[in-house]
Amino acid sequence: MSLEILSCRNLKKQFVENQVLQGIDLQINKGESLAIIGASGSGKSTLLRCLNFLEIPSSGEVRLRGKLIGSRQNGQVVYQERDLIPIRAKIGMVFQHFNLFPHMTVLQNVMEGPRTVLKLPKSEYESRAISYLEKVSIPEKRNAYPSELSGGQQQRVAIARALAMEPEIMLFDEATSALDPELVGEVLDVILKLMEEGLTCVLVTHELGFAYSAAQRVLFMHNGVVLEEGSAYDVLVEPQQPRTIEFLRGHSRFQLPASKNSQ
Amino acid sequence: MEHVWDFQTVFASWSLLSQGLFNTLKLGLLTLITGMFFGFFVGLGRYSRSSWVNFPAGVFVEVFRNTPALVQIMWFYFAFPIISPFDIDAFAAAALGLGLNTTAFCAEIFRGGIQSIHRGQWEAGKALGMTYREQVWRIILPQAVVRMIPAFMNRVVELMKMTSLASVIAFGELMHQAKTISTYHFNPIESYTVVALLFFLVISPFAFLVYHLENRFRK
Amino acid sequence: MGYVWEFGVVFNQLDLLLAGLLNTLKITGGALLFGIPLGLLAAILRLSTYKWLRVSVGVLIEFFRTTPPIVQLFWFFFALPMLSGIEMDPFRASLVTFSIQSSAFFAEVFRGGIVSIERGQWEAARAIGMNYLESMRRVILPQAVKRMIPAFLERVIELMKTTTLVATVSYADLLYQANNIAQSTYRPLEVFTVAAGLYFIVLFPTSLLVKRIERQLAKTGEGTVH
Repeated sequence: MSLEILSCRNLKKQFVENQVLQGIDLQINKGESLAIIGASGSGKSTLLRCLNFLEIPSSGEVRLRGKLIGSRQNGQVVYQERDLIPIRAKIGMVFQHFNLFPHMTVLQNVMEGPRTVLKLPKSEYESRAISYLEKVSIPEKRNAYPSELSGGQQQRVAIARALAMEPEIMLFDEATSALDPELVGEVLDVILKLMEEGLTCVLVTHELGFAYSAAQRVLFMHNGVVLEEGSAYDVLVEPQQPRTIEFLRGHSRFQLPASKNSQ
Repeated sequence: MEHVWDFQTVFASWSLLSQGLFNTLKLGLLTLITGMFFGFFVGLGRYSRSSWVNFPAGVFVEVFRNTPALVQIMWFYFAFPIISPFDIDAFAAAALGLGLNTTAFCAEIFRGGIQSIHRGQWEAGKALGMTYREQVWRIILPQAVVRMIPAFMNRVVELMKMTSLASVIAFGELMHQAKTISTYHFNPIESYTVVALLFFLVISPFAFLVYHLENRFRK
Repeated sequence: MGYVWEFGVVFNQLDLLLAGLLNTLKITGGALLFGIPLGLLAAILRLSTYKWLRVSVGVLIEFFRTTPPIVQLFWFFFALPMLSGIEMDPFRASLVTFSIQSSAFFAEVFRGGIVSIERGQWEAARAIGMNYLESMRRVILPQAVKRMIPAFLERVIELMKTTTLVATVSYADLLYQANNIAQSTYRPLEVFTVAAGLYFIVLFPTSLLVKRIERQLAKTGEGTVH
């Protein structure tokens, strides 16, 4: 039985002139791993940021465990910052550019959420932070500052920082796009491990090979709508939409497994 | 305690105020122009390789930046005449103090602006066979000036405010006129309020400009 | 020019000058004590999402930044007591004036520091569930303050120079003492030169410190705000 964690209905986002999201319906179930792909400007990052309310949706609804986020007024959902804060604490976010706090050590970065937001006692937030640093395999760097780490290490710390909140779902916004090619693997390994442990993950990514091998479901976005959705095999190997086929053809780095049909 | 505002007596002294405004602008403009002119050379002087030039230029700048403008004005009014062969009236003392003060600050602005231009620009000019003067005028300054504009505008704001210090040695600028009016009519509330607003009207456009230029440059 | 310098008379009264310097530092310190928190508050209000608040605080800040401090001082010393009945002695009037005046400048330093922090830092703080105040206190300000140090010290220098105005309302600061001694000894040249030297002795090292910190921050790749 699938248990819904996060969902949105007819989600729209309008920036000053252009409509970036044109009505997205999406349901993410517990333990599921979902990859969102698409060209830049397709709205995939905006969708992710709307799910975490770093961007406020223009209209539509978002539900966490079936409960509507925000409050309904005159048919429109309105969002108060004080209602959104506890929501964000339950949804982990990993950014393209890590956004680690440069004035804090690695350990302090990971302790910050449990300490300031969850208000855990020192003994608890410290041991929790250390255990998540172990999970991303860099406990030995706990006293280093972010500027002393490689990009891959920084991103792993950022993942640990999000995990330390013990979120219900993790969002990865192009988590490997800013990394040198040789550092991508170590970050993907960590994400894969989390997925295998059953953590609910949504990742916006350009790593189609990773999406194919790790994600249970793939979603292709184009111009603010979901054009194609299905299992990784269906979307990446046997796409139906001409746009999807065109997009995949442009990604020569992704070696398509042979399609069943062509065998 | 209820105060009845009465601006009548202030506006009745309009000729005093307009005279004060004229003197404020005269002092401000004169010291701005001389300060920028000499500041340019002092700024370049701090760049000189000869320590006979850059050391005195450095001392001059630091002395005038690190002592209060009011002390400088009072020094030129009370102390300087003793060793000066010329007569120093209030205007001359204020102009000397503020002019040299502005020279020092402008020198730093020029120096900072020039310093912000990448060394490769000097070298490219040199490689084309330009003289030092040509490099400064054709290559460095045109690029540096744009970056210096907010700092100069800021200087205008500070300088216009500093002109009010000349009231301490009884030069008849705005603040001094306000003192005169308030003593004569015993209306300090109204006269200082009006003069504060007059200063605000003259100076705030420059401050507004700085604010916008800095926002533009930040992008 | 046969002027014979005679510093002896000045050094006989050095204790008076030093007492004046102490009062200068007292006013400067007092203004910092009140001006810095007030400035932080004003900066946060100026960054508010409410337009009316942003604009009205902005106008207030700009008013105190763009009117001469001597006008402000005279207003607080002569006009305010008549308006409100609050007793003003020279020290109190000076403290009020320079606290408010410097808070307007500090507000801009704080604002500059806060807006210099990348948006990603706000987002990361919000993404782990921090509210505005927590983000500000734990993430933004600790980073901003470091970049503000040079601008901040520069303001302290400007503030100390501006406090010479208190002499005009007869508060016995360094300049006031110098003026008195100059009149009683008929040695203005020596007295004012020594007074200027005393200011320089305090301010010049601070200036050097500013430059050193700026260089250091530039070396670690961090910017500074002005």
